[in-house]
Amino acid sequence: MLDCGMHMGFNDDRRFPDFSYITRNGRLTDFLDCVIISHFHLDHCGALPYFSEMVGYDGPIYMTHPTQAICPILLEDYRKIAVDKKGEANFFTSQMIKDCMKKVVAVRLHQTVQVDEELQIKAYYAGHVLGAAMFQIKVGSESVVYTGDYNMTPDRHLGAAWIDKCRPNLLITESTYATTIRDSKRCRERDFLKKVHETVERGGKVLIPVFALGRAQELCILLETFWERMNLKAPIYFSTGLTEKANHYYKLFITWTNQKIRKTFVQRNMFEFKHIKAFDRAFADNPGPMVVFATPGMLHAGQSLQIFRKWAGNEKNMVIMPGYCVQGTVGHKILSGQRKLEMEGRQVLEIRMQVEYMSFSAHADAKGIMQLVGQAEPESVLLVHGEAKKMPAPQNFRLVSSEQALKELGLAEHQLRFTCRVHLHDSRKEQETAMRVYSHLKSLLKDHCVQHLPDGSVTVESILIQAAAHSEDPGTKVLLVSWTYQDEELGSYLTSLLKKGLPPAPSGGS
Amino acid sequence: MAHPCGRKLYQDFHAFDLPGATRVLEWIGDKGVFVAGYEKLKKNEILHLTLPPRLSVNENQGLFPERDFKVCHGGFSDRSIFDLKHVPDTRLLVTSGLPGCYLQVWQIAEDSDVIEAVRTIAVHEKEGSLWPRIAIFSSVAPGVLHGARLSGLEVVDLESQKVTYTSGVSDREELSSLQVLDADTFAFCCTSGRLGLVDTRQKWAPAENASPSPGAGGGRWCAEVRGQGPGPSIASLCSDGLLCLRDPRDLRRPVRSVRCPVSTPSPDPELLRVTWAPGLDSCLAISGFDGTVQVYDVTSRDGMEGHVEPLFTHRGHVFLDDHGTGAAPLVTTHTWHPHKSRTLLSAASDTSVHVWDWVDLRASR
Repeated sequence: MLDCGMHMGFNDDRRFPDFSYITRNGRLTDFLDCVIISHFHLDHCGALPYFSEMVGYDGPIYMTHPTQAICPILLEDYRKIAVDKKGEANFFTSQMIKDCMKKVVAVRLHQTVQVDEELQIKAYYAGHVLGAAMFQIKVGSESVVYTGDYNMTPDRHLGAAWIDKCRPNLLITESTYATTIRDSKRCRERDFLKKVHETVERGGKVLIPVFALGRAQELCILLETFWERMNLKAPIYFSTGLTEKANHYYKLFITWTNQKIRKTFVQRNMFEFKHIKAFDRAFADNPGPMVVFATPGMLHAGQSLQIFRKWAGNEKNMVIMPGYCVQGTVGHKILSGQRKLEMEGRQVLEIRMQVEYMSFSAHADAKGIMQLVGQAEPESVLLVHGEAKKMPAPQNFRLVSSEQALKELGLAEHQLRFTCRVHLHDSRKEQETAMRVYSHLKSLLKDHCVQHLPDGSVTVESILIQAAAHSEDPGTKVLLVSWTYQDEELGSYLTSLLKKGLPPAPSGGS
Repeated sequence: MAHPCGRKLYQDFHAFDLPGATRVLEWIGDKGVFVAGYEKLKKNEILHLTLPPRLSVNENQGLFPERDFKVCHGGFSDRSIFDLKHVPDTRLLVTSGLPGCYLQVWQIAEDSDVIEAVRTIAVHEKEGSLWPRIAIFSSVAPGVLHGARLSGLEVVDLESQKVTYTSGVSDREELSSLQVLDADTFAFCCTSGRLGLVDTRQKWAPAENASPSPGAGGGRWCAEVRGQGPGPSIASLCSDGLLCLRDPRDLRRPVRSVRCPVSTPSPDPELLRVTWAPGLDSCLAISGFDGTVQVYDVTSRDGMEGHVEPLFTHRGHVFLDDHGTGAAPLVTTHTWHPHKSRTLLSAASDTSVHVWDWVDLRASR
């Protein structure tokens, strides 16, 4: 299994993958030899404790040393926000994170690891974030290389991805920016610094929501260098606790950073900043200009959201989102142009501060992907994590759609469906609940095809709704709403509609 | 990028790196450009790129996350592409290159993002290293004007592939540029500096400038005719830095001749380019001498008699050259944005493409 991530935009069952696709009843280790985690971003490791401690996978888990060290921090951070702050259920506990990480086998770069008599894996440097790796998976003379997320251009604290001419049968590469020709990093950085500088000059405050580890270090080095060069006095803060942790890990894993950092490290620690201090939440109320790096990155909870609420009303201030924000987060809403946000308790927050977006995410672009293909020389390439479906095939490759590929390989195509559970108070039988659902939706959704099938389930277009009894409470029924990836909009709309409850049933028999 | 004295040089500046260097920057509408590779002995990509949405807005630029070019359509060519023209109001492109002296017609697919080769247009004169210049007569029945020499000039109807016009002359002077002016007229410029305006409804009798005396300078010329605006509208540029301005009513007498402060000789005079600014009166840009693009105001009287100083010099391709050792990058082509009056795009031999909006320093004086 390549990576085991979670989806940040969902707060329900859809946040974790549906592992029943592997097997419904059998032992997971009959179908999986190992799990490989490419790096510590939550969309790649966020479901790991769930998978190992709640779903019950007990086979080996491989990742690099920095990933092993940093994953639990991010997982715990994420768990704290989800459970303690938002009260979510069906989530892994702190102990589960610890137990999960005990199952991890750390690997070194370019070290061949024998998983069993047949299966071998090897990690390659991927850039992107500290400890990120691309993995070669080999059985006999056949091999697959999975890139995870990678970057082909070095940045201020990490080197560029590299692989040898290993000629895998298949290269699975992320294609986030495959059809993009990116603006140079220098221009991006220059623009970012200009915005920060202008805001600070006019006495405003700059909020930069970041994830604890990752691009934050890059931006810190960038700002520190700029502050030093321009002799600026406004304070820069970084969320408490994380600066020390980050420092600690970058020192520990210095060999994973780039050459420049390693060289200068002898004189001074690049991550010990002169101008960047630890943040105290009281500072947010201080008058005058400042720059604050606060977590988490999409403004979906925690300190960054708190600070955002304090500063949002002042047009002198600015928030710079340094990366992609998943739908549903405050970050995504403000980037879409929303200027009035509904917070909990039905409070409306008016946004007058400037909202900026500056993508510093380190992914390979079209040119970078072709460079990697040139380095590894694979027979076939599978593009994932992006929209590069229809690019004309370069040089000696033949481009096929996924349907065509499955056909040629003699594999059955399967539809991925998301299933959501909605609990309803209803002590009648499931079939009657289903009937109520049908009548309700039929009357509301006049533009859609709503049907009641002979087996009792209800369909709205291709979305399936089934009623089931609750395992413990006879007074509750569970509606299982399932839809494919393409029907997300309608599916989530239906779910929220059903969560509002059903109108009371007409008295008497129906 | 800031001037050492602290004055801002650019209103906006973006730098990109293409998969392969281009000699083509052809607009499609005002939001898309075509680029095409020119490497020998390998497949070259033709890409239809959409401009970063950020460049289309004046305010609230921060809310437009996209500052990158997006590849909209792409195709592959077996040969180098030196010129590409989009046929307006169609999904067709015409390219010219080497080896082989023929034109390739391409179609941008509607239901996918592929640019497919659909047919070729034969060129009768077989030339070893000369490639035909192209220009498009856009009308209900679009035609391609092409030729490597005056004798080979002809117009081919794209649909029927019939030849609808030939120059009919035996003059074998080599062409450096062709430009369609309206439904019936076009302008040509020969490498020797000979200019002409041709009416296709008549037998060959172009309005011309005087033929330069043989052996004069020996430089290579290119030219561009301005669409509208006051003053002399034909600019011709020589590889020795001479810039001549002419009025179409009397091509024989240049209205003004000045020498531009450029590094000469140009390492590749075929790359010389002079373009009029569509949104500014009397401004033009030149490139092809080195890694810079220079903007001039042709009415300016700064500088000594016979000499002119550029209003602005874009040095980005030289400063941002990250490719270390090797030849300094050479600007291969440049073009003005159709609407944003001071925005240009420029491409260089090191695969860089810049989009820049320069500050007119005269305004701040």
